Amino acid sequence: MKRTIIIASVFSVLIFLSSCSFNKSLKKDVYKGFYDEEKLSILIMPPVNNSTKVEAKEFFHTTLNIPLAEAGYYVIPPFLSLEILKQESAYDSENFIDGNLSKFAEVFGADLILFTTIHTWNKSGLASVVIVDVEYTIKDAITSEVLFNRRGNIKYDTRVSKGSSGSWIGAAISLTANAISTAATKYVSVARKCNDYSLAPLPKGKYHPNHNLDQEEYAGPAHFKANL
Amino acid sequence: MKKLFVTIVAAFMLFSCGQKPLYDYRNYDNTTYSYLKKNDEKADQNLAETYESIIEKPRGERNTVPPGIYADYGYLLLQLDQTEKGKKMLAREIELYPESKIFIDRILKKLEE
Repeated sequence: MKRTIIIASVFSVLIFLSSCSFNKSLKKDVYKGFYDEEKLSILIMPPVNNSTKVEAKEFFHTTLNIPLAEAGYYVIPPFLSLEILKQESAYDSENFIDGNLSKFAEVFGADLILFTTIHTWNKSGLASVVIVDVEYTIKDAITSEVLFNRRGNIKYDTRVSKGSSGSWIGAAISLTANAISTAATKYVSVARKCNDYSLAPLPKGKYHPNHNLDQEEYAGPAHFKANL
Repeated sequence: MKKLFVTIVAAFMLFSCGQKPLYDYRNYDNTTYSYLKKNDEKADQNLAETYESIIEKPRGERNTVPPGIYADYGYLLLQLDQTEKGKKMLAREIELYPESKIFIDRILKKLEE
């Protein structure tokens, strides 16, 4: 009996290590800026696409909203804000990523600004496997200080559909969508999985039950490689 | 013993990583992608249906409409010349998420100009 419990415990720890991101640094140290002052709202800037995959910008842009809202943040309405960014000639995020962001705080009421840079998007030898090098930078809208930065080299096999993390129903629909598989649906899944995985260590926002309770959790490495 | 083993493993997995989603977005990713890329009548209609479905029957841990949905639906309605309904949706965004007031008020003011 005792032996079984020990084996079960060891097995459980192994599952935990393999299923959750693991790194020695804690969120309260790496993402200190999120805990020092409450950050509530976040503006998604149009992704910067340095890859040769033209549609990658849209694949990422349409899939950033859910992981941020699921982390407990108020996400500035993505399409309405996109329209205003276009009107104000602020559609090309690369022109603003290193600049003063206070104007965005003023116009959108944003506490945080997310910049996404797609460095590369390549297919491997097998057409179904996509390898993406993508970087996420979240800056304080008032001070322009970098509060979160992660860059991942992510390999994703589009034959293995894993659904939408934001929705049980969505997962079922997504599975159906993949069964009828259009290229776009497949690649939206790639971007969604990259976003979900990379933004997972983000400190939880006001609308999440773990808000301010996740400080002792591991932050995950700033640079990582992942097979999804 | 086997039962105990399975229970411990299941409980650990559930409490260590499992978290019910805060919201239910239905088929949001795919309909928004089509809307952004195709921008035709069918894509508009599919996106409107997705928004309506999320608004009419919100699910998930918070059991409420996710951030930005009322406002983006309002914006779509404005594009479809349903101005009054669109404005109503924008106002609902502020009611549900007061932090949206700075931005949404700016949009409503623009509409009055």
